[in-house]
Amino acid sequence: MKELAPRVRLASVLALLALLALVGTSALSDTIREPDKLVILSTTDVKGKTSPCG
Amino acid sequence: MTYGQVAVVDNGGFFPESDAQQDVAWFMMDAMRTLGTVAVGTSEKELRWGIAYLKSQIARAGLPMICSNLMELPSRRPALKPYVIEKVGRVRVGFFALMSDKVDLGPARDSLKIEAPDAVARRTVDEIRKKGATVVVLLSQLGKVESEDLVAAVPGIDAVICGHNVPLIQKGRMVKNTVTSYGGEQGQYLSRTLITLDARGHMTTGDNESFILTPEVGEKPEMAKLVKDFEDALNEKQRKAEKERAAESVAAGQQATDHYIGADLCIRCHAGEGKQWKTTAHSLAWQTLVDAKKDATADCIPCHVVGYQQPGGFQTSADALRLGNVQCENCHGLGTRHDDYGKGAQVTEATCLKCHRTETSPDFNFGKYLPKIAHSNTSGETIQNMKNKVSPMMKSSGSN
Repeated sequence: MKELAPRVRLASVLALLALLALVGTSALSDTIREPDKLVILSTTDVKGKTSPCG
Repeated sequence: MTYGQVAVVDNGGFFPESDAQQDVAWFMMDAMRTLGTVAVGTSEKELRWGIAYLKSQIARAGLPMICSNLMELPSRRPALKPYVIEKVGRVRVGFFALMSDKVDLGPARDSLKIEAPDAVARRTVDEIRKKGATVVVLLSQLGKVESEDLVAAVPGIDAVICGHNVPLIQKGRMVKNTVTSYGGEQGQYLSRTLITLDARGHMTTGDNESFILTPEVGEKPEMAKLVKDFEDALNEKQRKAEKERAAESVAAGQQATDHYIGADLCIRCHAGEGKQWKTTAHSLAWQTLVDAKKDATADCIPCHVVGYQQPGGFQTSADALRLGNVQCENCHGLGTRHDDYGKGAQVTEATCLKCHRTETSPDFNFGKYLPKIAHSNTSGETIQNMKNKVSPMMKSSGSN
């Protein structure tokens, strides 16, 4: 059985849910709050993982 | 700080690694679409069921999957959309994607060809720029070194997301004029590339950092529910398939000379070791799967039971009482090979690494972990550690 730390809860598709925490609220709004910045949020090689096992 | 110009992308390599998990593939495509993903790269993993299957799923989900150098044979036309240009706030951003020409395309190998990434990149960047993109992002499945070499050689790429067996590096760096991202895999991390723009929307500076997604990171409840409902349904579906497989495995197991026997038999003679084992988290491994409703999920079961789908080993949850948990034979080998133990069969790091892999047990250290479960250690520390590390949020979601 795997050791449980660090506790990674989110995986794959859920990963993108973190975007609010990482770029601030209303991040997906078209409103330009910092017009000189562009943010690219990315995941890679998710390999079908939707969450950890147990 | 709040940013208004945000694009969400996936670099590809998101299809599952098992043929039995086609449901996961289409679910992930739907989920990415729901999340508003503006571009999705492609790897050979997405071709595991052939190009026709992939195309049908792209059309069904409406997902913007791209690959610039994957060509159909004999026409040599792009098999997928080669790039997308998205208006993100006031900026026109061009996304293109590359695969390595060294990978095996599996069932698609006779109908597809991967063109040389370097030449395709030059051509595609020119085309994207001519169409008005002021920022160009490469979704690369070339691996770390080849990705870096390419952006160093091909001008005009502002950012590259590096994928395909690329280790996590928390901070990206500049390779000539390109900011790189090494965001880690299996959905445990989210990478943020921050591009500063001039008045004409061109990049002036770039920065990148990847974040581990711990329970402290926020999530949308409705999306979390969508995933949980899917996982629960998948677990039940796999439970039915498991029963069908089990009948065949049991028959094979009865004929096998070497097979698993379960801890109960071992403990008849090794009572002290059995008693100590019950003070370790290994003895609770099955319950963690039950709590997470992953007790029929084939990806998870092997590291939580004895001899999954092997002769004499765990076949279905009906075997959990006898063969659930990480037992004697997980570490010491088949019970029917008991006589080998005295002939040099040892618990080595390789024994543990079958389950304590980077993605499942990132802190694993053989020298530190082995004493925690050694038969001389009755402290119960691994169980205590497990309880301490389960946050209230995790307990309520039933996940680890």
